[in-house]
Amino acid sequence: MKIVYNWLKEFVDATAPPAELRSRLSLAGVAVDSVEESAAGPVLDAEITANRPDCLGHYGMAREVAAIYRLPVKALQPKLKEAAIKASDATRVEIEAPELCGRYTARIMRGVKIQPSPDWLRQRLEAIGQNSINNVVDVTNYVMFELGQPMHAFDLDKLSERRIVVRRARAGEKIRTLDGVERALTKDMCVIADASRALAIAGVMGGSESEIGFASRNVLLESAWFDPITVRRTSKALGLRTEASYRFERGADPEMAELATRRAAELIQQLGGGEILSGVVDVYPGRAPAPSIELSRKELLRVMGADVPDRDIEEILAALGFHPSRTDAHRGTPGSLLAVWQCTQPSWRRDASRGIDLIEEVARHYGYDKFPPRLPPAKQPAHRLPHAEAQDRLRERVVALGYQEIVAIPLVDARRDEIFRAEGVAPAVIGNPLAEDASVMRSTGIVSMLGALEWNLNHGQRNLRLFEIGKTYELRDGEPVETAVLTLGATGLAREKTIHEAEREFTFADLKGDLDGIGKLAGRFGWQSGGPAWLAGGLASRISAGNSGALGVAGQLARRVADQLKLRQEIFVAELRLEPLLAGIEAARATEKFTLIPRFPAVERDFSLVLTDGVKFAQVADTIRALAIPELRSVEPADLFRGGKMPVGKFSLMIRVTFQSGETTLTDARIAECSSQIVAALESKLGATLRAS
Amino acid sequence: MATTDSTKQTLAQMGVDSPTKVASLFDDLRSAFDRDVAHEISSLDLEAARVKWLGRKAGILAEIGDNWLKPAAKEIKPAVGQSLNALKAHVEGQFTALAAAKDTAREQSAAARDQIDLSLPGVERAIGTRHLIRQTYEELERIFLSIGFRVVEGPEIETPYYNFEALNIPEHHPARDNMDTFYIEGSKAGHLLRTHTSPMQIRTMEKEKPPVRIIVPGKVYRRDNPDSTHGYMFHQIEGLAVDTDITFCDFKGTVEYFVREFLGPKAKTRLRPSYFPFTEPSAEVDATCHVCGGSGCRVCKFSGWIELFGAGMVNPAVYGCVNYDPEKLSGFAFGMGVDRLAMMKYGVGELPVLTQNDVRFLRQFP
Repeated sequence: MKIVYNWLKEFVDATAPPAELRSRLSLAGVAVDSVEESAAGPVLDAEITANRPDCLGHYGMAREVAAIYRLPVKALQPKLKEAAIKASDATRVEIEAPELCGRYTARIMRGVKIQPSPDWLRQRLEAIGQNSINNVVDVTNYVMFELGQPMHAFDLDKLSERRIVVRRARAGEKIRTLDGVERALTKDMCVIADASRALAIAGVMGGSESEIGFASRNVLLESAWFDPITVRRTSKALGLRTEASYRFERGADPEMAELATRRAAELIQQLGGGEILSGVVDVYPGRAPAPSIELSRKELLRVMGADVPDRDIEEILAALGFHPSRTDAHRGTPGSLLAVWQCTQPSWRRDASRGIDLIEEVARHYGYDKFPPRLPPAKQPAHRLPHAEAQDRLRERVVALGYQEIVAIPLVDARRDEIFRAEGVAPAVIGNPLAEDASVMRSTGIVSMLGALEWNLNHGQRNLRLFEIGKTYELRDGEPVETAVLTLGATGLAREKTIHEAEREFTFADLKGDLDGIGKLAGRFGWQSGGPAWLAGGLASRISAGNSGALGVAGQLARRVADQLKLRQEIFVAELRLEPLLAGIEAARATEKFTLIPRFPAVERDFSLVLTDGVKFAQVADTIRALAIPELRSVEPADLFRGGKMPVGKFSLMIRVTFQSGETTLTDARIAECSSQIVAALESKLGATLRAS
Repeated sequence: MATTDSTKQTLAQMGVDSPTKVASLFDDLRSAFDRDVAHEISSLDLEAARVKWLGRKAGILAEIGDNWLKPAAKEIKPAVGQSLNALKAHVEGQFTALAAAKDTAREQSAAARDQIDLSLPGVERAIGTRHLIRQTYEELERIFLSIGFRVVEGPEIETPYYNFEALNIPEHHPARDNMDTFYIEGSKAGHLLRTHTSPMQIRTMEKEKPPVRIIVPGKVYRRDNPDSTHGYMFHQIEGLAVDTDITFCDFKGTVEYFVREFLGPKAKTRLRPSYFPFTEPSAEVDATCHVCGGSGCRVCKFSGWIELFGAGMVNPAVYGCVNYDPEKLSGFAFGMGVDRLAMMKYGVGELPVLTQNDVRFLRQFP
């Protein structure tokens, strides 16, 4: 809402310059973003909150300024020269839908000369961003910006039977609005009609058929109060937001309706002559007594924590139109803790109906800065999220492994999401998306991860290791389910070339090593072959953790999928469910205990085995462990070799076995004994032979 | 040299029979040692010299002991012993000093030879980073944990009841204009993407009796066309404190504490009256402009203040939805845009950069 400084000053004798007014208004709750110069003088750009439709006019703003400076607001007293003929003889108003229209006032003017507006009027309208049309239309606009009351002017001669009917729109009824668009109406909407047809959409926009033009002579001025919810619904349904609908949907002042027609008639007569028929046609089915509201000091202290003097309370509430009066038994005692004020709600402040609303009015005009700050004592211990410590350890580990954390928008492209969505998962689809590429809540973090990798590859960054701790979304039986996940993505070089080292590509082994590094926090990860179709067959893996069960998948993105997404590099990804992972980390932590570091030296023995294709390292290790040799410490793969002199169907695996005793230095004889036990077991269980060295 | 050969003979053989002659004999020997060592200092084979003088079997000092001291006549034996000890101390001392000097020289020449170009980079291990939003969340959590707030989380896909109605925003409320909403297709309950973290106020109060003191980090969504300050998604942190004795002064003290902790001890706070359906009285929390320090600049539109977040005392209407007694309880709530706070504090000019995940951005905040 733009406020013309000089216009405002017509209603309150404030002397503060615009810059001061800006800051005082801001501190009282009307944020003023800027002050600019215009042909009509300085203009303040004020942000009016949704609860204050009364401030959507200069007169209402003057009330705020008056309350700030404790000045009186000047009363509005339009002076009319009325003709002898009564308005009520020239027209008739009927409200068929009183639930949609609480008041309708009409005033009739005859013989008005429609002409361009004078400079002062044009300049003021232009200063607040309105175009000048003609004197009558401009006056209705002017009065709206002055009093906050939307108005409409009909060409009286175009009204069938020269009468007004306020009713619901009929099924199938249409109207061409002032913007030239034909609009289909529904029976939820309220229209202003004449004897035969709809002339205007109540509170939203007039129709072109009864529009004031330069040929018009006789005018019906409408000033009414329409139901906020109906106006809002209608305006939304038609996609038609106007200055009028903006005010009506926030709640206009029903008492202002009649005054506004007087003010408008006064101005039109000044600018375009003509005669004003005497009186106003006023149908007011929504008339209601003003509610009374109680403010007690006890309540004010309870909410605000510090007091406000009687005088400030009374002056502020009076300036805002609440007519406060002390009604308690201690009226003679200023500052009494038992003080109670009875107030009356002004017709323009439907937002203020409870004691707390008055407390806010008093507090904001007294000044938030006057209340002393204080830290409330804590009565309970502070707590982080239940798994925060485990998540810290996880994040710390992943970061240490060289992954950069990303934060992605979970709204993704539905077609992309589908590629990675597990069978049977119902996605959470957005019913009203703004863009195709943000039309579904992701079923997996892989979609976002690939998006982030793609962005970087397209911006010349080809060596990437990224991770995200986020959520995936789906519907199960129509109920949303959100699952926290850890997603990893890597591509390019694991190590870039430097003067010290050669470069090395990131491979599946890097991903596996990184994941096992993470797995160490949670006991240890188990790996099984196989996985979703979007992973490359040979490398697709499922990961599980001992006590947490299935955790997720890891592997290389299938070439077919990478091509589809135009990703040329080899892409490695993994996604693990976060909750079981964190539970695993916590469980592992709970059982971690110190083990004595052995005092006796360890002995390593290498075994070069020739094995049949298909035998897995794990089988070798398990076979050795099954011997339950107490001195066995570890079995590690040391070398892997295929082809060359190896017979077809065989491969060579060198394993390194470490022995160590906690009680004694191992003798050669004992090692030899263990070694032959191992060789015998491998030969008999796995058909291994020792390779001649 | 005659002197060193002399150690093969006994003193009697050389006719040394008085302490004076003993002293003179040892003086000669000492001079010979000094000459010997000094002469060869540059090319000295220190180990060979040490063997020659201090060798256990055939060293000169050992020979003196065998040939001079043991057979010495009784009257000169003490003089011989003393002189021998003195000489031995001298010789040993010299060798220790020489060895040290030689080590130093060797180290110096090695250092000169091996001096590397320190302007060359070392081998840097690739270490990842936490996202700036994450770092900011951690900072915010630390601040509020320090004054007794507990962290809770809630769903991003919410019902209209929790997102709007229970927060005193009925269906046709104009305040919904600022919260354009994404709706989930085919949900009977009319599920939506929460437009703020405030639903957790309700969910928490429904479950727990006061005192309640929580913060709620999380993603929120608005159906805004993306630009430099708006996106479909941003991050919030909600705060709520409700008890029998929480007042506006406590609210003020809490936000002032937060502003000082987050922006530094010099930052000032200003509360500006505002409107939110679920708080009353409501306030916008402003802090002194981080760019100009309050004197006025383009960033703060020459006001000296920057809007940080919205807050206020909990509207009693909200208590009605959670069976809290509005006559006995009071509290405050706030909702901060974490992206906005991070952008402000670290000078990030554009919102989209926070979710593009360009590694050149991610690496800027190690």
